Amino acid sequence: MNDHQPSNRRLTEAGVQEDLQRQPHLFVRLAENALTVAESLRGNYFKNTATFIAALRKAIADTQQGRRTDPILEVRRVPETSWADVQDEVVTFIDGGVGQVQLASQVPILLRVGSYRVRTGERRLSEREQFGYYPVILGDLEGGSKERKDFIDIVRITAELLAGLSALERTPDLRVLIFHGPLTYLVGSYAGHTPFTERDIDLFLRQYAQDAQIARALKEDFLRQAHVDIYPKITKRPDEWARQRIFEPLSFIAFLLRRLCERARQRPVPAYIVGVVERGNLRELSETILLERVFRGLRQKGNIDYFNNMYGRTDLSTPKALLDRLGYTDALLMAMLLEPGQYSESWSMNKFDGLRRGEVALPGLADEELVNFEALKPGPFGFPRIRGCYLHVSEITEPVRIEVFDELADADYLENVVRRVYLYSRLLPGYGFPVGLDIADKYAHIPTWLTNAYSKLIRYHLGISLQQGEISDAEMRRVLVQAIYMTHRDWLFRPEP
Amino acid sequence: MATSRSNRALPNSQSPAAPAAPPSYVGTIVGESASREFRMAVAQEAIREQDLVAVDAELRPTDGQGPPESIRVWAKVQRIERLNPLFPSEAGHELAATRTNPFETVLSLSREMVTAVCQVLGAEPRGNNPRGKLDQLRYPPQPASSVYRPGSEDMARVVLGELAQRANRALDIATLSNRPEVSVSVDGHAIVTRHLAILAMTGAGKSWTARRIIEQLAAKNYPIVIFDPHGDYSRLSEVPALRQKVKRYYAQFPVFEQDSETVVKVVESLGWELAKTHRSHFDTLFEAARAFIKAPAPQIQERTEWLSDYLRNSKIKEYGLKPDLYFFGDFVQAVSAANAAEDFDSLSVLIEWCKQDDLRINKQNAKWLETFPNNLRTAAKRLRLMEKTNQKISGSLDPLPNDRTEIVQYGQVSVVSLAGYTGDFQATIYNLIANDIFQARVQEKLKLPVLLVLEEAHNFVPGRANTPAEERSIAITKQIAQEGRKFGIGLVMISQRPSRLDETTLSQCNSYIIMRLVNPADQNFVRKVIESLGEDEARLLPDLDVGEALLSGQLINFPVLVRIKPPESQGEREEEDAFKALEDAYRSLQQGARQPQEVRGW
Ligand SMILES: Nc1ncnc2c1ncn2[C@@H]1O[C@H](COP(=O)(O)OP(=O)(O)OP(=O)(O)O)[C@@H](O)[C@H]1O
Ligand SMILES: [Mg+2]
Repeated sequence: MNDHQPSNRRLTEAGVQEDLQRQPHLFVRLAENALTVAESLRGNYFKNTATFIAALRKAIADTQQGRRTDPILEVRRVPETSWADVQDEVVTFIDGGVGQVQLASQVPILLRVGSYRVRTGERRLSEREQFGYYPVILGDLEGGSKERKDFIDIVRITAELLAGLSALERTPDLRVLIFHGPLTYLVGSYAGHTPFTERDIDLFLRQYAQDAQIARALKEDFLRQAHVDIYPKITKRPDEWARQRIFEPLSFIAFLLRRLCERARQRPVPAYIVGVVERGNLRELSETILLERVFRGLRQKGNIDYFNNMYGRTDLSTPKALLDRLGYTDALLMAMLLEPGQYSESWSMNKFDGLRRGEVALPGLADEELVNFEALKPGPFGFPRIRGCYLHVSEITEPVRIEVFDELADADYLENVVRRVYLYSRLLPGYGFPVGLDIADKYAHIPTWLTNAYSKLIRYHLGISLQQGEISDAEMRRVLVQAIYMTHRDWLFRPEP
Repeated sequence: MATSRSNRALPNSQSPAAPAAPPSYVGTIVGESASREFRMAVAQEAIREQDLVAVDAELRPTDGQGPPESIRVWAKVQRIERLNPLFPSEAGHELAATRTNPFETVLSLSREMVTAVCQVLGAEPRGNNPRGKLDQLRYPPQPASSVYRPGSEDMARVVLGELAQRANRALDIATLSNRPEVSVSVDGHAIVTRHLAILAMTGAGKSWTARRIIEQLAAKNYPIVIFDPHGDYSRLSEVPALRQKVKRYYAQFPVFEQDSETVVKVVESLGWELAKTHRSHFDTLFEAARAFIKAPAPQIQERTEWLSDYLRNSKIKEYGLKPDLYFFGDFVQAVSAANAAEDFDSLSVLIEWCKQDDLRINKQNAKWLETFPNNLRTAAKRLRLMEKTNQKISGSLDPLPNDRTEIVQYGQVSVVSLAGYTGDFQATIYNLIANDIFQARVQEKLKLPVLLVLEEAHNFVPGRANTPAEERSIAITKQIAQEGRKFGIGLVMISQRPSRLDETTLSQCNSYIIMRLVNPADQNFVRKVIESLGEDEARLLPDLDVGEALLSGQLINFPVLVRIKPPESQGEREEEDAFKALEDAYRSLQQGARQPQEVRGW
């Protein structure tokens, strides 16, 4: 695409500095970096950053204008899209979070996943929107390693995926499914949790599957696959695991992701399954694509000391070293390289390196056994590959990262996803994030016992669901009632009537 | 408290066998509830402001012994709040800037949160409270309880309350505004003994309401006197049931019951300003004329003939003497003629009859007096015209009786027409009647209690008096408002400009019917003076329909929003359309002389 005239200024150091000054959020990030980098790098941090960015911008522009053949980063403009182009589409947004209870300390008691489904252009409110609210009481679960801080994450990821899957299953014309956060996390760090029991999974499923039939089918599908194909690769006692009907969390999460991807692909037009990440800390694109190419070029030109000369150092000779020393992240660099309305080239993300061998204790047992999580790396029974890219929505916000299934993501698919995320996010220019995720979040948010509007809403809807007997589990009812109506001192300590 | 019951309400939703939500479920209590007020989440459109709702609860004995008592808590929806917390205002600006229809986007539009704030009215034992009396609730209903809309019969029972035991007091005047099948009766006893104010902007239905009440009271034979400045009540007698009961009076202005100062004002306003000599002799002449005409019938006969002969005016004999300004003119003419002619025989006759030595006037002054009768007759003519108009509008042949307290009769509705008179005349006539009735009750000469109905009350009881006539009508109304109850005189004040009403008088009313009011000054005034009217109710006033009313005070168990049932009678004005009225007016213009000119004061 053609860059407009004034953008020549963008390509100069002074131009970059002006940009930075106009974008306080960037300026602050850089200022923080400047304080944490080594003394010797601090002095000209802003100026050097500007020089560096100007050079990168120029390289990108040169490629776009055909003056350069080896691109350092492909940058595209989001095609002009208006709401008229996406009418009569069903979009579901999913967001999970934790509800804490104010006791002596903050204890997470409740996990909640909210979903918001909307059909664009639909004027009948009852047809147009549907909300789901799926609370899981952490105390009810038998599996997972509750002592671990990331226990809650395992539960949340599982719950979100189940919510997404059920949305996809029960909405034949679902076009777009957007998760708040990565489509797949860096799963390696979550390895080693005690498996969930079948009862745990039933607890989850009761929330998500509309009819028991689907729930049972999903469960059985997994257990069959686990017994035959997965557990034999990761444990020495696959038959015992299968006999106990346990759900090793990572295996189950991988299964759900594969299922999502499969179901999306089975549509006449594949459904867009998307994770949108704000404020990410990754530097993978910078390190493995952008700087990798920059250094290759420097080497080619015999200019490998370019950065060392610029910063007056000797150790800035690999992408990793450069990012380590200077504190740049993808979000920071993309904020400076992408103009609002542009998105970066995509890359197949490395989410699975962390999968190694690890110790696992089965539910109710103290002994640990060694489990080979490596077997869950992408493959027929492992995690599906993920493709990511960055989208810069508005000047006053950081770019968001968009993640999709690599398998589905041809250029067309990706462009369609980006167009929609951009459109949804532009309704919140000050936030630069899809508005539907904000809505799902607000809808599902557990009140912090403040009487703000959102907590009122939740009280309101939970009140009605309770009333209508939609939440039947007696214990859950009790805790929810307490949670909803708790003020500082009462309820939990109230004597039983 | 002597009772061993605690006021501890148990949630119905948490009892082990929680019953299914009743079919008329309207919402769920949310947030913190109090014994006076709670909030409930409602589905959109499920409920309206002023709706009556109920929540079931259990009262357990404080000692923990014995079974819990089931109670039903009654409440009224005070206000409804709508909020869409899922709609970020930033997105709103964005939509506006890009002219985007929100329905085309992924924004959420459905999740309006509707919260109803309910005021607790009281509680009753469930299933066993034929009396309909509500006890004070002393423990809040349980959060998460379901709120429902009770059936019509229950609602009627509770609205009626203790009035059910005293059916003879009940006046059937309205239905619940949001539940037309529920009749609302009010306490007639409170109305006739403790005063009622009906306040609303013009056209909102005050007179209809008053007529409905009057019809109901008339059916109970309560003596009623209506002061009707516009002829709104002239058709009351067309109601078959009232035909025998309604008696209409036209009002004459009793000149000789006024002090001479007042009559000077009347003459000056209807005729022209008095010349100096006329003014200086006025008091003497007026007192003399009063003495002349205040005599037993045979003497009047003699005096009539004398005057007729003396003035050589046979019409005097023909029509007879009446205590009006025509007579006063004739009398002055005779005095002036006798003095001018130095006819001392005739003068001594006059002096004897009038017991007034001062009638002897020097010749010069007597000559000056000769033009005075013209002024009096002009005034008389205009006054007569007002009387005629009044008589016409009242549609009555009966003048007020000499003993005005006679209009208070068992089973009689007396409509005193004031139409046709200008303000001060109306105020004066009202004052005379009200005063006579009040004095007669105080002195126990009048045996029956009575209800006075005062339309356009702001003209009779304004906050500030501008004329002596107003001063007097304020004084008597205040007195009735304050002491009427002791003497069996009730007052119904009707006004379209409440803020012009005298505040103390209005606050003496114990019952209020308030209908549509848009003028902010009126709304504020009403809000300030009427304690039983809450802020939320006051807020409704500008949005009420014609015929809708807030009842509050002693006439009703608790304030409710109702629709007044139409009266059986039709008013004078609503029958006529503007063009027919024009034609009528034109015809009466052709027949009669000019209307009395608009004058300040009288
Ligand atoms: N309860 C009612 N139900 C239906 N219509 C009504 C009701 N009350 C009044 N109306 C309508 O409103 C009209 C005006 O009513 P009414 O004469 O009682 O008003 P008002 O307040 O006395 O007005 P004004 O201040 O002019 O005397 C009536 O002619 C009738 O058409
Ligand atoms: Mg009226």
